[in-house]
Formats: sequence, structure tokens, C-alpha cells
Amino acid sequence: MSKFLLLAFRNVFRNRRRTIMTLLMVSGGVAALLLAGGHFASMTQGLRESTIRNGLGHIQIFTAEHFRRDEVRVLDTGIDNWRQVAATVSSAEHVRGVAPRIEFYGMVSNGQKSSVYMGNAVDPDAERGLGFATHLVSGHDLDAKQSADVEALIGTGLAKSMNVKVGDGLTLLAVTSDGALNGIDVQIEGIVETGVADLDARYLRIPLDAAQRLLQTDRVTNLVVGLDETANTDRVYDELAPRLNGLRQRMEIRKWIDLATYYKQVRNLLNGIFLFMGVIVFFMVLMSSINTLLMSMFERTREIGTMLAMGTSHLWIIALFVTEAALLGLLGAGIGVAGGDLIGALFNALKLSLPPPPGYTVGILFHVQHVPGIMIGASILVIASLVLASIFPAVRASRLRIVEALAHV
Amino acid sequence: MNNLVSAENVSRRFPLDHSEVYALDKANLRVSAGEFLAISGPSGSGKSTLLNLMGCIDKPTSGRIVLDGQDTTNLNATGTAALRRKKIGFVFQTFNLIPVFTAGENVEYPLLVNGVSESERREKVAAALESVGLSARAKHRPDLLSGGERQRVAVARAIVHRPALVLADEPTANLDTQNATQLIDLMRELNRSLGLTFIFSTHDQRLLEHTPRIVRLCDGHIVSDSHVGAPTGFERLMEGEFHEQVSAAGVS
Repeated sequence: MSKFLLLAFRNVFRNRRRTIMTLLMVSGGVAALLLAGGHFASMTQGLRESTIRNGLGHIQIFTAEHFRRDEVRVLDTGIDNWRQVAATVSSAEHVRGVAPRIEFYGMVSNGQKSSVYMGNAVDPDAERGLGFATHLVSGHDLDAKQSADVEALIGTGLAKSMNVKVGDGLTLLAVTSDGALNGIDVQIEGIVETGVADLDARYLRIPLDAAQRLLQTDRVTNLVVGLDETANTDRVYDELAPRLNGLRQRMEIRKWIDLATYYKQVRNLLNGIFLFMGVIVFFMVLMSSINTLLMSMFERTREIGTMLAMGTSHLWIIALFVTEAALLGLLGAGIGVAGGDLIGALFNALKLSLPPPPGYTVGILFHVQHVPGIMIGASILVIASLVLASIFPAVRASRLRIVEALAHV
Repeated sequence: MNNLVSAENVSRRFPLDHSEVYALDKANLRVSAGEFLAISGPSGSGKSTLLNLMGCIDKPTSGRIVLDGQDTTNLNATGTAALRRKKIGFVFQTFNLIPVFTAGENVEYPLLVNGVSESERREKVAAALESVGLSARAKHRPDLLSGGERQRVAVARAIVHRPALVLADEPTANLDTQNATQLIDLMRELNRSLGLTFIFSTHDQRLLEHTPRIVRLCDGHIVSDSHVGAPTGFERLMEGEFHEQVSAAGVS
């Protein structure tokens, strides 16, 4: 180790109590960022995967006209040769399966009460094949086998407002593709919770063939593509685009991230909170370190005067103070990373849960991910803060008048 | 005569709240290479001020200081730092060792800032500590050394890079009689053996008894400049040079 670094290192531990206090503050800041950032990363990843698994899929395919569609006659812009499109997509690498869907809207009635629903027609086998699961509160999932009654799942909120339960019958009304009003009877097979209270109040799911009968069409609204891994989304997206060129209907492919509006809002919110925390930690370390480093400078005034008298350059003095601060930051960051990871692991082992966020009905597990990027970023943040804090005392030390510094008591 | 440092008509004025005080007033002094010189006088007479000016850690209000042929008056901060680094060694009243460095590392410091290589530093530090009799204490930190030992480390630090001039401000003020005497003997021996120029401020009579040239100050004025005693290191040096010149001329 060079004598310069040795001097800086020993100076760091000159006043042990003060150094320990500074290290506690710096490492506390790093650990707080690690815990918050790790939890936010865990929440974001959990939300991403649940968003995908709850039916969004990794990629969705629509007709190009879909996004300019009429909300009532939704299938006017649907995919008519969807089986051919599904076969084309299924042959691509990393594709686990393709699930056709119909989104539709209408009225639901049990003879006593009526309500508006947001319908979602699916192929139960295809959904199960892709691992898209609904969270059933009671009853069971849709069955693919043909039966006399049309099966339906409804949201907890809709069931409550309609005052119905599993086994009860409902009548669905919707506008067909040619504009007529049509209706079918369904039997409630299960009551589901989507996790989002507003959606639970309107949610209804029936098999695809029943919806096609109701809407008098062979079309589907969209095809949902499930992949082996979320990380392959971009690769498959790039591969599918040329495959879907030349079809009679012009297709548009959307990645999950383009459709997951809520996920993006949550991610941006958490990123904003984390950034704000980072700014607070930066300024907390900056302000308290300036004071500590200034005290250290005042205590060493005569020593600095001696060094200057011996011909030490101003740059050397500045570099010495900055290096001491950087070493302090490095040590604090190291302790903070180790401590933060340890506390995070402890929290993970305790399996603590947090109350549901606004609009949600399910609580969140307090899980902390170990994210190398956050560890490096938080460390750089506190080191930069300490280095910045050291510049004023360092410059001040380098500009001491030697005669006055030597007379300092 | 080899003039090493000279103060020419040097004044140093310090402003007070509503007046000003002359710590040094039109002082003239010439010191030759190899001299062992004491600046003496009562407190407030301007000893330290003159030493600070000759050591280029303060600037005169008027007049000029010439060190080794270089006028220091108009040098900027970088220039004076370089001059001090190369040509001046300091010994302070309160030792002023770097507390986190060992004795050896303290002695090494001037070589470090002079950019001397590690192997050369090692050799010079060992020689400097040897010359002050503290080789065995090289690994000790200042807080484990006695006052006398600390000041000897400070002397080793001041001479390790073989400066043209060693300035010592009240070097025995914090030492007991025994340590003070040892330090005086050490400085005198280094002056004689290495031909180093020593200028020190003191009102310690013990030190003055060993000093061949004493400059007395009072109220910022040089009131006397007396040469006494045995030949100085300078004289020995000159004598050596004379012999070399005679030898070179082929005179036996």
C-alpha cells in the first residue's frame, strides 16, 4: 500500500468514535436503500409475473384495426382466421402456447337484478396449458367439456352486487356482430378474485364457443401468446413480426409491457419513491459528513500547517482529504451492503406480510431481493456524497496560512 | 563567501484593529552555508517572524529574502512550496510529527513529497534515524516516544533530504535540560559532520553557549550579530574547499 493511501487510511481511524458514527450513518443509508430497493424490485417482479400469469401473457396479437374499434361491436375488428394465425405463432421457438380470447361487454341479469359486466371468453384448455390461473374464492374453474349448461365464472364484487352464488343461473345479454341483441343462460361455476376491486365488480368469464354463440361470430378479439421465459419476449416479438406479414388481415403484435398499464404505473411510482429515497440519503450523508470532515480538518490544522511547511503541494492535501472521505464511503458502503443483505435475508426468512395496497384485495409478502445493481448504485451514491462533502474541507485545508496553522492550538 | 540566505531590509508588519505593529523592521542578515546560527531575544522580539520569513512560510511586507541565490519575494505559492520542499528542513518547538505515522514514516515524509523512490527512501530514512540515534525506534509511533526522542525524530525529518537550510523554532523549549543538551549536541554534530546550515531561534542559554554566531533581536530590530567560539561547520567546509583549491593548484 502506498504511503499516501496508508496515511489516508490511518487518518480515517484517527478518531474512532466519530468514524464509527459516520460509518453507521453511511451504512445505515446504504442498508435502507438496499432494503427498500430490494423490496420494490421484488414487488415489481412479482407484479410483472402475476400480470403475465393472470392472463396478459407475454405477447398478444390483434388486428391492426382493433385499437380503433367500437366498444360495443368489439368483434367487427376481430381476427377471423385465428386458427391459422395461432398455428403460425405456435411454431415459433420459445412459444409455449397460444390462447384465443374474446373481450365483450353487456348486461347480466338474474331476473331480479341487472348489472353491467366485462366479459372475457377463453378456451379453458389453452388457458390452463399456459398456466394462466384464476384465483377462485369458491366453486371450480371452467371445464372444456361440452355440457348442457354454459359455465361461467364471476368476480366477487359482481356476485355480491347480484346476490348470487355458485350454482345459480344468470342471463347474459350482448350485442351480436351484426348489431342485434342476443342472450344466453349461464350457470355460475366459480367466483373469482382478480385482486383488483374495480375489476371484481364487473368480471365475467365464459368459454370461447359460448361467447361466439352469444355474439354470433367465429372471430376472436385477440390471441394471447405464452413463452417459456419473460426474458425471451423481445426475441419472439422480433421473430413473429415477419411471420404475420402477408395475412389477409393486417396484424399488430403487442408485448406485455405495452399492455400492462397498471404494472408500468406501479413500477414508475416505486422508481420515483426509490429515487427520492436516494436523494434523501445522498443529502443526509452530504450534510452530516461536511460537519464531520470540517471538524477533522480543524483538529489537524497544525499538522496540515506542518505538511504545507515541508513543501507538500495543495493538490496533495486536497487529494488526502478526498481519499479519506472516499475510504470512509467505501467502508460504510461495504458494511451497509453486508448489513442490508443480512437484514433482507432475515426479513425474507420471517415471511412478513404487508397490508394490501389501495385498490387491491390481497396483501403483499415483504420480500427483499438482492439486486447487484442497487448494491453498486447505493455504494457509488454514498461514496460520491462523501467525496463531494470532503471538497470544501479539503480546499479549506489546502489554503491554510502556514504561519497561522502552525500557531493553531 | 558562500552566501546561502540573506534578509535585505526586511520588514513584517501585522495589522491590528486600529493600528499596526512591526514584528520586524528593516532587518538585514546574511547567513553563509554551513553556519550554526542562533537568533536570540526576548518574547515578541521578532525571532519567529524572521525565521518564518527565511523559511518562506511567510512573506515580508517590504524588503526581500534571497535563498540560495533565488529571490523568494515574488515566488507564488507553488514556487515557495517547491523551494521549501527541496531546500529547507523545519524543526518545530512542539515537534509537529504526524501522529498516525511511525517515527520512520515521519522521517520518510519529506522524501515522499519530493518524489524519491522507495528504495532510496528506505536507505535515507535508515541513515537519518541512525544519525540521530533512533534506529531502534523506527517502528514506534510518536505517542510512544519521549519528548527528546520526538524532537530527534523531527531533526531526522528535517535533514533527511539534505536541505540547504535547517530552521528550528525554539527546538529545546519543550525539553528538559538533559534532552535539550543532547539535542543541541546532536544539531551541532550534524552541522559539523554534514555541513548543514542551522538557524534556530531560542532564548535558551544552554543552546546559546554552544552557538558560534548569535544574532540578537529586540522589538523587531537586529541589535547585535556576534561570532564567538570554535570554527563552525561552515568554516570547516570553507577550510576543506580551500585545501581542495590548494591541492588542485598543485601546492603542497
